[in-house]
Amino acid sequence: MNLFEKIEPLLLRVQKPARYIGGEMGSVMKDKADVKARFAFCFPDRYDVGMSNLGMKILYSCINARPEYWCERVFAPDTDFEALMRENGLPLYGLESLEPIRDFDFIGFTIGYELCYTNILNMLDLADVPVWQRDRGESIAPIVCAGGSCCCNPEPIADFVDLFFLGEGEELDLEVMDLYVKMRDAGATRSEFLRAASQIQGVYVPSLYDVTYNPDGTVQAVTPKDGAPATVKKRIIENFDQCPVPEEFVVPFSEIVHDRAVTEVLRGCLRGCRFCQAGFLYRPFREKSPETVCRQSRVLIENTGYDELSLCSLSTSDHSQIEEMMDGLLTFTETEHINLSLPSLRVDNFSAGLMNRLRRVRSSGLTFAPEAGTQRLRDVINKNVTEEELMRTCRIAFSAGQTSVKLYFMMGLPTETDDDIRGIIELAQRVVDLFYEGERRPKGKPVQISCSVATFVPKPFTPFEFHPQDTREMIAHKQKILEEAVAGHKRIRASWHFPDTSILEAVLARGDRRLSSVIFGAWQRGCIMDAWSEHFYYDRWLAAFADAGLTPEFYANRDRSYEEVFPWDHIDYFVDKKFLIRENEKAKQAATTPHCRLSCANCGVIRETGHPCFTYN
Amino acid sequence: MIPVRATFEKRRRAKYISHLDLMRCMQRAFKRAGVPIWYTEGFNPHAYLMFPLALSLGCESGCECMDFRIDGEMSMQEAMERLNRVLPPDLQILSVADPVHKHTDITAADYAVTIDCAEDTAAEALRQSWDTFFAQPEILVEKKTKRGTAQVDLKSQAQLLGADTLENAVRLHLRMPAGTSVNVNPSLLTDAFLAWLPENAADVHTGMIHAERLAILCADGSDFV
Repeated sequence: MNLFEKIEPLLLRVQKPARYIGGEMGSVMKDKADVKARFAFCFPDRYDVGMSNLGMKILYSCINARPEYWCERVFAPDTDFEALMRENGLPLYGLESLEPIRDFDFIGFTIGYELCYTNILNMLDLADVPVWQRDRGESIAPIVCAGGSCCCNPEPIADFVDLFFLGEGEELDLEVMDLYVKMRDAGATRSEFLRAASQIQGVYVPSLYDVTYNPDGTVQAVTPKDGAPATVKKRIIENFDQCPVPEEFVVPFSEIVHDRAVTEVLRGCLRGCRFCQAGFLYRPFREKSPETVCRQSRVLIENTGYDELSLCSLSTSDHSQIEEMMDGLLTFTETEHINLSLPSLRVDNFSAGLMNRLRRVRSSGLTFAPEAGTQRLRDVINKNVTEEELMRTCRIAFSAGQTSVKLYFMMGLPTETDDDIRGIIELAQRVVDLFYEGERRPKGKPVQISCSVATFVPKPFTPFEFHPQDTREMIAHKQKILEEAVAGHKRIRASWHFPDTSILEAVLARGDRRLSSVIFGAWQRGCIMDAWSEHFYYDRWLAAFADAGLTPEFYANRDRSYEEVFPWDHIDYFVDKKFLIRENEKAKQAATTPHCRLSCANCGVIRETGHPCFTYN
Repeated sequence: MIPVRATFEKRRRAKYISHLDLMRCMQRAFKRAGVPIWYTEGFNPHAYLMFPLALSLGCESGCECMDFRIDGEMSMQEAMERLNRVLPPDLQILSVADPVHKHTDITAADYAVTIDCAEDTAAEALRQSWDTFFAQPEILVEKKTKRGTAQVDLKSQAQLLGADTLENAVRLHLRMPAGTSVNVNPSLLTDAFLAWLPENAADVHTGMIHAERLAILCADGSDFV
């Protein structure tokens, strides 16, 4: 059932209608009569955000590379279009076929941010699919699945999802689809399929686990049933350098957040910053060779027509051959009017050679993330960046003509004091002073240092997963300290956010299965698009907590013991809890851990991969 | 260097590409197609691409124009074939030719505007109310300009070339002023009609409105080419 005739009369009544009609260059069209299974790849946020997501582009191309499968894109409609959809009985549809996704075989969500959980419920509801897993009955389709970094603790949304993909999906998603087609054609029911799928490494079927709680509200035990594994391991790609990547992107008509070609240069991170969930979730560290990066970038530029190329990773300057890679890329980007951008650079290995290459490609300001204002606190979080390194990098940047530097910090880090907060502005002032000391600084231009200070959210699978988040009062106090500290500093700008979204993020990140009813209650009260401040209603969330007999403080502000059973303890991301405890203890002593290339910290990855991540001399 | 004027169509899904987005879409299409388009010189070189007349969002057309220059060894015919291979099926180039007219030669554009009837409304009734509406001596509307809003008399601007009563719709054939200085969108007229209906023909209800640009014209009535 093609919905074009129903969609069209609504389009001129909404903002940016191009988001809702598909037909972009690079979108994959197939004949549904020729395919065995259809996958609705749902991004639980607006088109302009979701279309920027590299994971979605990768899996869209992986699934569509198989002639017998058809993957389509689905995004959360903005509120104006959603109202018209509901008013006119228009169900959520795939942007390629313009057909209702309730008729697809898989409805898969990629989840990278906790504050989009209500959008998942809303999209299922718009699709006419029961939001609770238990209400979906025994007919096999559609299977509601989810993947992405938030699924490392899937429990808060466990009651809405049939099946989670843990880890990297390039191979896993297809294996699950293959099993599905085989079992569907043999007449299997939903629960029969889910039981069989739970045997594949990387698949977590929450309905096959019973959770019991202690009187104090903590988890007592998570018990598998029907032969499901006691711990569910994530999946990784064996050969990252040779792993297939999208040779084409769907190139949107309307502007999106990151509107450019993107090449992933490395996966994982060797740094072990103790606050950073991604740094632990995506281990082990794997690089692509400069040749592969250049070849893939070139193909992508040719096929998309983009005039901007961005390198993507958690820490691009940690690539062992970054300068060779840049040289290879510059040979074609310069002659073909392609802008090259490199986010995610570190200050401790930012060489003059790299700066010279960067000068050839862009003139915008530089961004660095010291994360904390004092050396003591940077050691606590294992950032392994010294002030000298930051100053050296800024000196290189200033003498190369830069006049603005953006610095990212966090507040609410474990062991943090008021002096650490003041240290943010003191550090920024020393960068300002450095600028005016410089002899080769650009004349006649003032320097501008922007300090963006986010509220720290403790996350699962990090050494800080045991820590309470600062209460709202503590954060308000620290924001006041920061405000007073920056007053009178003309060349420094500090910015921070109201902490309620970070508090909710902390709750959902380390929550348990009982939060399903809170998320449902918040959605019933009209919460959607919580990530957007204009749609965020914390009072509605608090009402939903009260209805469920739960409090956000229990999840966000509680000190968790090493003995406590965490809601995600049966999920295995290859990083051992023992290692996280060791790292947390070192954090308390402000002792650092060297990065993985210097020595192995025994995080647990080696147990799964069977070989060291690096060869050590 | 070969100057080219391409005529293209913009239909179905593609008619929701805004004018600004169309520029970016075409620039990327040239890159994908490997057509050596001329880049402007100067501090920030960019692909030289001109659209003599913008098409409003949601309006279909089979007569849109785009000017560019080929900077290399490629015929305009080959450029067209290459572009069509990388453009979406609803956005295809129909012909390429040497530009004849200047952009400033454009004075008018013809449109077919189809107003669907709501289920409770007969086409004859809709037609009758249109005739009454258009017979007014003046049709004043507010038009947004760069300097705020201005009042425009659409009656003196729009030329009704014909009207057909279809089974469940009324189709109007309109000629509107167009060009670099004055440009009047036919939706201004249909919006005015829809606003006029409740007070003057309360029982007439409309459905979707389809607009299609049929021609871009010069002062002497000839097609802009």
